[in-house]
Amino acid sequence: MYRLFILPTMIINIAVISIPAILTIILAFYRWDGISDPVFIGLENFERLWNDRIFWKALRNNLIWTALFLTFPIIIGLVVASLLLTVRRGSTFFQIIYLFPLVISAVISARVWQGMIYNPQSGIVALLERYGLDLYDPLSRTATALYGVAVVDLWHWWGFMAVIFFAALRQVPQEQIEAARLEGATYFQMMRWVLIPGIMPTITLMMIMTVIWSFLVFDFVYVMTQGGPASSSEVLSTMAYRRAFYELKVGNAAAIAIVISLFGLVATFFYLRLQRGEGE
Amino acid sequence: MTNNIFKRTSFMALAVMAATPLFAGDKAVNWWYESANPGQQEALSTHLIDKFNASDKDHNLIIDYRGDALTQQLRVALLSGTGPDLVQTPGPAFVAAMARAGQLLPLDDIAASKGWNDRILPFFLDLGRFDGKLYALPKTYETLGLFYNKKVMSDNGWKVPTTIKDFEKVADQMVAKGIVPIGAGNSNWRPANEWHVTLAMNSIAGPDNMQKALTGQMSWTEQPFVDSVNALKRWWDKGYFGENYFSISTEQMISNLAEGISAMAPTGSWSFGDVPTYFEGQLDNVGFAGFPSGEGVPYPIYALGIGTTFSIASKAENPEGAAAALDFMFDEGFYTDINNVWQGEWNLPLRDLSNVKLSDDVLPAYTASMAALASAVNNNQYGYTSWTFMPPATNSYVVSGIEEVWLDEITTEQFLSELDAIFKQELAEGKVADIPAR
Repeated sequence: MYRLFILPTMIINIAVISIPAILTIILAFYRWDGISDPVFIGLENFERLWNDRIFWKALRNNLIWTALFLTFPIIIGLVVASLLLTVRRGSTFFQIIYLFPLVISAVISARVWQGMIYNPQSGIVALLERYGLDLYDPLSRTATALYGVAVVDLWHWWGFMAVIFFAALRQVPQEQIEAARLEGATYFQMMRWVLIPGIMPTITLMMIMTVIWSFLVFDFVYVMTQGGPASSSEVLSTMAYRRAFYELKVGNAAAIAIVISLFGLVATFFYLRLQRGEGE
Repeated sequence: MTNNIFKRTSFMALAVMAATPLFAGDKAVNWWYESANPGQQEALSTHLIDKFNASDKDHNLIIDYRGDALTQQLRVALLSGTGPDLVQTPGPAFVAAMARAGQLLPLDDIAASKGWNDRILPFFLDLGRFDGKLYALPKTYETLGLFYNKKVMSDNGWKVPTTIKDFEKVADQMVAKGIVPIGAGNSNWRPANEWHVTLAMNSIAGPDNMQKALTGQMSWTEQPFVDSVNALKRWWDKGYFGENYFSISTEQMISNLAEGISAMAPTGSWSFGDVPTYFEGQLDNVGFAGFPSGEGVPYPIYALGIGTTFSIASKAENPEGAAAALDFMFDEGFYTDINNVWQGEWNLPLRDLSNVKLSDDVLPAYTASMAALASAVNNNQYGYTSWTFMPPATNSYVVSGIEEVWLDEITTEQFLSELDAIFKQELAEGKVADIPAR
């Protein structure tokens, strides 16, 4: 009888996750325009991806994106969270400030940065250029477009990491922190030997989730550059979106989605191993 | 006391219900529209919704503004058997797939009973036919041309170029003076790239070659197309597009033209909608002409496009209402009303506009350009826009591939070779719209 308790979750899981996931896997072996009848073509969609230079560019961009998000927000988040520990009053205020970019819609943030900061005619870049600084819109150049978008997403994201790490740091036993202080530990020694080891499960979880989220990135890239210029900021999800909805190649888009999922699955595998380790 | 409050509340609820348009007609006609700014929504509300609902007591037209992702939402909705009664697509290429999948209602009988065949220009009506049946009506026919700032041109002694040779000559002089010759940008609408490809191919390769290529009689890798893409690349390298093409929005493009930052702006007739805003107080300064032609190609060539089509969903809950709404729109009365307040977006291809008298407030440049367009079409001097006549994947590649050519990621030959391969595959899959004979 108690097994009935899992029924609601099971129904939601099957309807919302399992069926679409299975359909996506099946569609990757078909040619389908999203409207007419699908035609089975075996591995052709994957073969086309293998020979598609934009796919490799997008994959490389996803890897760069993952590397950026595994370092900057986590380092900044850790440093800021550790500093918050030392603030006796006002830590709530700072947390709200740090979280503020996260609660603004991604589309609004992206448009504000694109039009009011980066724009060389109407943005802060234009203003600074008038004062003699040699600046340009990073979104307009192939070498910097991806990083220009990443800066905006990092601005929007790091506060979340800081708040998560701060919450974890508050769970570190106070006796350990006091003991380290009495021993005369410096800030870096405290971080290295007490705080980071104390919240290592949280950091690992956040890193694993960052890998999964980085392969799902879509909103900021799509709004700010739509993958351009010359596909320099293309990522797998924007490529899949264009294939499905502009080129009407749903099977091809499903094959890209499977590649995205593979990276997510690898990260999930490590997460499950980690959980098992904690359980033992 | 409680009874009084209950009565008052019930009375107010009934009053609100009576005032709500939802209850005005018997059956709702649902229509999902793309993006429209508040002024444009107001225009549709006043001249379409209110007037249609007043004239037709049986139906109640409801417009739901769905934004730029309308097509994507429509495809998902129609696939699941839901969606609006009145289906709005971005062009015939999208209609073809939907029609062949049985998602749209054949309109032949309705067209015959309501006289649409006599009211709508046959060339545009034919673009809505697939496998011998009519599935779509063209909402607006549009073209690409060269907007220019008359004051900037006359102050510098420049004439509007009619040949590519003259265009490059005057553009070189503009660059030397620090004026951007091709005011353009794609930061908010990446497909703006295809306007330039369309112009170059129609005006340099010529519409006859375009027609041959679109019907599979000629390869896209042939010399006329190489010359067209090479010209675009040359213009990019010489700085004709300015330094900020990837940062400027389509609105900034018109604003820059008004301010004299750029002297010319190759864009579509829909940009007339932005002119009153950015040319406020200097409306006489805006000019519109055909894009210059290459050697052996007559001037002007106006590339024709259908930006939007209307169909009725095969699973529509109210197909009669949708047909009635379409009938209301394809009429001189609505044409006059909407074009008086919103130019460039509602150029319904009606056969007879002799009774249409637009308000004196309408831009003379708009009226003149529409007359020039009609005359060019009459003289067979029309071309083909990529978004109307190219199938979806080919069209998408035009948008992304030309950036790669401009930024030296690929050569012209690589671009055209890939374009040709994608097009041939789509042609074989039956995704290319029927191209009327010239």
